[in-house]
Amino acid sequence: MPVLEINNVTKKFGGLMALDDVSFQVEEGEIRGLIGPNGAGKSTMFKNIAGFYSPSSGDIRYQGQSIAGRKPHNIAEMGVVRTFQETTLFQELSVFENVLVGCHIRSRSNLFAAILGLDRGLQREAEEKVAEVLDFMGLGERREQLASELPLGSQRALAIAIALASEPKLLLMDEPFAGMNPEETNHMMELTRKVQESGISIVLVEHDMKAVMGLCGYLTVLNFGQLLAEGTPEEIRHNERVIEAYLGGAG
Amino acid sequence: MSSKGGFTMPKLAIGAVALIALLATPHFLGFHHQDLLIFLTINVLAVCSYRLVTLTGEWSLIHAVMMGVGAYTVALSVNHFDLAIWFTLPLAGTAAGLIAALLCFPLLRMTQFYFLIGSFAAGEAIRLTWVEFVGVFGGTSGLRGVEAPVVWGIDFLDPIPYFYFTLVVVGICLLILYRIEHSRIGLTLHAIHWKAPLAESVGVNAWRYRALAFILGSFFVGIAGGLKVHYLGSVTPNQFTIGFMVFILIWVIVGGYNKFYGPVIGVVVLTIFDESIRSFEVIRPAIYGGMLILSILFLPMGLESIPAKLKSWFGSDSASDEQALSDQ
Amino acid sequence: MELFLQSIANGLVQGGFFALFAVGLVLIFGVMGVVNFAHGELVMVGAFTIWLLHAQYGLGYIPAIAVAIVLVTVIGLVMERLLFRPTRADPLAGLICSIGILFILQVIAALIGGDGPSKQVPPPYQGTLVMFESLRIPYQRVFSLAISVAALVSLWFFLTRTRYGWALRAVALDREAAELQGINTNRISMVAIGVGTALAGLAGGLIAPLTNINPHMGHNVIVTAFIVTIVGGVGSLSGAVLAAILYAVFHTLITVYFGATIATISGLVLMVVVLIVKPTGLMGVRVSE
Ligand SMILES: Nc1ncnc2c1ncn2[C@@H]1O[C@H](COP(=O)(O)OP(=O)(O)O)[C@@H](O)[C@H]1O
Ligand SMILES: [Mg+2]
Repeated sequence: MPVLEINNVTKKFGGLMALDDVSFQVEEGEIRGLIGPNGAGKSTMFKNIAGFYSPSSGDIRYQGQSIAGRKPHNIAEMGVVRTFQETTLFQELSVFENVLVGCHIRSRSNLFAAILGLDRGLQREAEEKVAEVLDFMGLGERREQLASELPLGSQRALAIAIALASEPKLLLMDEPFAGMNPEETNHMMELTRKVQESGISIVLVEHDMKAVMGLCGYLTVLNFGQLLAEGTPEEIRHNERVIEAYLGGAG
Repeated sequence: MSSKGGFTMPKLAIGAVALIALLATPHFLGFHHQDLLIFLTINVLAVCSYRLVTLTGEWSLIHAVMMGVGAYTVALSVNHFDLAIWFTLPLAGTAAGLIAALLCFPLLRMTQFYFLIGSFAAGEAIRLTWVEFVGVFGGTSGLRGVEAPVVWGIDFLDPIPYFYFTLVVVGICLLILYRIEHSRIGLTLHAIHWKAPLAESVGVNAWRYRALAFILGSFFVGIAGGLKVHYLGSVTPNQFTIGFMVFILIWVIVGGYNKFYGPVIGVVVLTIFDESIRSFEVIRPAIYGGMLILSILFLPMGLESIPAKLKSWFGSDSASDEQALSDQ
Repeated sequence: MELFLQSIANGLVQGGFFALFAVGLVLIFGVMGVVNFAHGELVMVGAFTIWLLHAQYGLGYIPAIAVAIVLVTVIGLVMERLLFRPTRADPLAGLICSIGILFILQVIAALIGGDGPSKQVPPPYQGTLVMFESLRIPYQRVFSLAISVAALVSLWFFLTRTRYGWALRAVALDREAAELQGINTNRISMVAIGVGTALAGLAGGLIAPLTNINPHMGHNVIVTAFIVTIVGGVGSLSGAVLAAILYAVFHTLITVYFGATIATISGLVLMVVVLIVKPTGLMGVRVSE
């Protein structure tokens, strides 16, 4: 069974069709590339999946269950977590605290436990989880720094660390490589692969073709809100319509 | 952000001295100033509970009215049922919390400007209800004759024992508020303030946390209202107008709302200041207004930020100071 | 029935007056993003000017209104230049500053007016217009309504037919985009607050002979303005005008039958209901996330 099914999803903003009858499926454990020129509707697709928008029509199924129109926090609890296109962090909090917020689902303390200090066990467990995630993402050294003080590459890693702390089963990554130098890109590719190996399915929206071709086994291409093509990186590279869309869209 | 609550020896010593000074204070004051000290203590709870509401980044204008809800609850429960203070105070908090919980449904659909205006409207509607329904709430002249409680043979009409009582109640409430802010719940509230969508994307139900902050803030300010009416013996709708709300805002903003103790500094300093300009009765509001503007323009982080500012202005060894601080 | 019709007529007059200051509030909020809490006090300053110059010193009513408008406009421009512009990045800061101004204006009015009861200004226009035999509208109210309508129509022309009006609407729609198009947004803010506060001064001038004047009269004005603005849809001028008229009639009718406090409570509840059911108000549009 596919982990994610997009069935005839349409999203309208006033007269604009940001998504127009799009259908595709993502298999368990894969890294799926979702590509297309700017304005194709990729981020809109993510927001629909993660519950930030609800589709104008069509259905979204996660592990066979319909999630279209649910609230973001419900969808996150079910195991679908997105990252944001622009680096989105709690800039004013430390790296450690950022990831601690990410642990919300698995260790949330109730009011009375918090006041009376009865949540120490949970707290310790959460702190262990944070340490584990930070080490996994290579941020162990920076835990006390403010998020706003990190270099770009580490900020991106932190954004993913926050998502990972919530123990997703499906991770939606929106342009995690944007603005990175080749070294940072390589590092992030490694991290992404490690995330996949830990058993998390990934949908990756990305313009960096080296990253996409290197990571994804299968690609879905959107253009002007419509599904343009699907196939292996090799097939997509040689697909006439895809080439045309990218050239026509000024890259 | 959340300074780790490590208690070092100097901190403990300062705390002990402050506590002794606080306990001794009323004995050196005249009757008028003893009154003032009690109201100041109550207002400390009002501003700290308000800060909890603002942690999620929303500024409400209903807090003063919630204090009134607590006050009216106490007045009614004493006048009609003769309840003891042990029951009336929690009841005051619960009443305010319950009304806040009901108001969450309309109000928390809004944010920022809409929330501000919506909370103002809801508060004003509640306040006008007290004015209108004379039979229950006594109209403009409010409810009087709320007898001062007598606990263990101590008459709380006397300011000194009532001050100690208030100090204990407010102290406990502040401790709880502090613990909430420095718990995971507080962290989540901060997170919602800075980036609600990011918090939601990892499973935070932002609505529930905003509701929690609003209800808890109202609960504690309801207790503050209860403390006030037990001492004053009367309550009127005019005590909880937008005018008083503005005072809460001023205390919080002038003190600085980024730290737990900022609003406390604000209310203490401004109350002392207020006493010192009593002779200018007529122009007092204008002095306040001017100060509010000046603090917004020149001290946006509040009085609380002054020590840090001074530190960064003076002395080249400030860097090592900060180092020492972060090592603690 | 007679009472009903008379109330509607009174409500319409009141509506014109409500519209004047609500529109000003909307203009300032739309263009500058500041909720001007002192707007009610600006109306109060306008009314006080009439009392001082016309009732005390015998200046003509119309010249007194002109002075009120100029005075209030100058206060508005000073507020923009000294308070709102420096705090543009933080909308809350602007609001807090306006609360500071509110206190200061109240104190100045109290100092000038002295202690004692509310002031009255004898209506400069005596006599009553009688229509349909029983409908009676004092000429003072007729004058007030006529001037309100004229002012609103002029505003409409200004906004739709002039270069400044066009630029003002562009800034209200999207400040950054307007800036990119080369519009001097600071100057437009001055225009917006100038027009908005001038209307408040005019409103004060018109209300002066019809009400009790005291330093705290601004409170009811701002409560009304909030209700009207929300019901009409934040940022919508035509919505504000429509809501002002509807609310004035609604308020007058409920006051007649149930009393003023119930009328205000109903208005506030109505406003909360509008916020829940249709946060964009009667005419407002909200840009989606
Ligand atoms: N909230 C919104 N309101 C109106 N239009 C939107 C909104 N979000 C996205 N769009 C439009 O939808 C289209 C797709 O946008 P997006 O999903 O961000 O594209 P991509 O991520 O593929 O670059 C664009 O034309 C964009 O302008
Ligand atoms: Mg995008």
